[in-house]
Amino acid sequence: MQITRRHFFRFMGAAGASVAVRPPSAHAWQSKAPPDTFGCLVDLTRCVGCRKCEEACATVNGLPEPERADCQCTIFEKNRRPDETAFTVINRYYTGKVDTFDKPVPTYAKVQCMHCQDPACVSACIVGALTKEDTGAVRYDVSKCIGCRYCMVACPFEIPAYEYFDPITPRVMKCTFCQERISKADGLPGCAAICPTEAITFGRRDTLLKVAKKRLKENPGIYLQHIYGEKEVGGTAWMYISSVPFDTVNLPTLPDTPAPKLSETIQHSLFSYLWSPVLLFGVLGAFMARCNQEDHKENNPDKGGV
Amino acid sequence: MIKKMGGIVCLMILWAGVCTAQVWQAPDQERAKERAKEVVPFVKEYQDDCQISRRICLIDAGVSLDDVETVYFLLDSPIIKEREDHYEPVRFAHKRHAALVNDCSKCHHFRPRDENALETTRCSACHQDSFNPDHPERIGLKAAYHQQCMECHQEEAKGPVDCTGCHLKHVPDHKELVKLPDNPDPIQVTKACLECHDTQGEDMLKTAHWLWRGPSPYTTGHRKDILHGKGTTALNNF
Repeated sequence: MQITRRHFFRFMGAAGASVAVRPPSAHAWQSKAPPDTFGCLVDLTRCVGCRKCEEACATVNGLPEPERADCQCTIFEKNRRPDETAFTVINRYYTGKVDTFDKPVPTYAKVQCMHCQDPACVSACIVGALTKEDTGAVRYDVSKCIGCRYCMVACPFEIPAYEYFDPITPRVMKCTFCQERISKADGLPGCAAICPTEAITFGRRDTLLKVAKKRLKENPGIYLQHIYGEKEVGGTAWMYISSVPFDTVNLPTLPDTPAPKLSETIQHSLFSYLWSPVLLFGVLGAFMARCNQEDHKENNPDKGGV
Repeated sequence: MIKKMGGIVCLMILWAGVCTAQVWQAPDQERAKERAKEVVPFVKEYQDDCQISRRICLIDAGVSLDDVETVYFLLDSPIIKEREDHYEPVRFAHKRHAALVNDCSKCHHFRPRDENALETTRCSACHQDSFNPDHPERIGLKAAYHQQCMECHQEEAKGPVDCTGCHLKHVPDHKELVKLPDNPDPIQVTKACLECHDTQGEDMLKTAHWLWRGPSPYTTGHRKDILHGKGTTALNNF
């Protein structure tokens, strides 16, 4: 029997279908979020766009000085993203809100790594260069990194940046949550320490959630009744409360399921006890054996004739 | 001889005058500096009144403008400086604000629960270090100042809301830094400025002051298309 293209695909399709219909592994996916982590609550109604957090971040992390550090006007003309030279940036948005003088009211939004409770980047990293620490920080270890940049693809917030300019020792760059500072007693992240209006509140995540809920309850006319990051992608260490919809300040609308849940469930159920490779090679082996048998039968009479 | 003596005495008086001129310090400024250094005990419990009842309380207590003894405060608390110290302290004209606002409850929004405590407690009694885990909803002193001042200045459309409107930055003495010839012309002065402030110079080239058109944050809707002006219709001698 000839193995035609069609036959091959039919077999492969059958094998694939058998994988797909197999019930998920008995071990349900479980969150690996450490308990009692630190977090930050960003209150967008308090941020005045002074960009001091950018400056402090650069100083604390040894990064180059932010672009036009003193400018609080034309710098906001363009929408910026955190990159390999800046772990955090402030953007300005006009969302149609006007004050009593009909002047449009800007909303400033800080962007940085959200330090997810179940980070997609940690799950995607094949060498364990990214880890979720007990403090809540998602830490990057340059000595383990091989530069595959899977973390950049995996991140739902598109945060990790890469030092493309450096061909020899490039690093993935993202907010460190000032891991070293916050692991010390009374340590604060650089941005939270400098913020003049306490738009960034630092503390234990549970406490922050209580504070946020209290603020939302006491000022229902000011805030939207939603804490961004409480449930988004399974919860994040950095959370936002705002008076304008979050998608208008470039915070993406995301599902509540942690990003690694689906991918890890598929991976783990595919490879538990190596059943899927065993099945695949079993099917292929059986197919080959059958082909050989048929070949044998067809060829034998000819041989006898000669 | 007498003339000589007189001359010496005169000189001594002059010298003493010069000496005292050097050490003379404004007494109110010194008082303000002393006061700014004080850290008062933290008030843990406060009375959770609404603003109207608070205002009535203050009127009932007979707190008026005459009770404001200090003309101004220097907001220079060690509580703030412990963490960050970038700007010169703000000189807060307390009496002037009290006279203008005419409502003490705007800033003295709560009072300590302890009945013997002053009706108008200072800010730093309740607001101290930021992110106190025991009082997570209580904002720190720095944030309290900034929120209170900026919010009111915005609401009333009066008073500065930018950093340098209230703070003076630590500016080095430019007499030592800048060397200019006698009677310099404007171009020489600009050149001297640009030697250090080159980014500001580049910034300037992007503004409406240079281009005659561009972002104008203070027009309605932040319109960029200015219909009339030197960029379009008006005469321009450049």
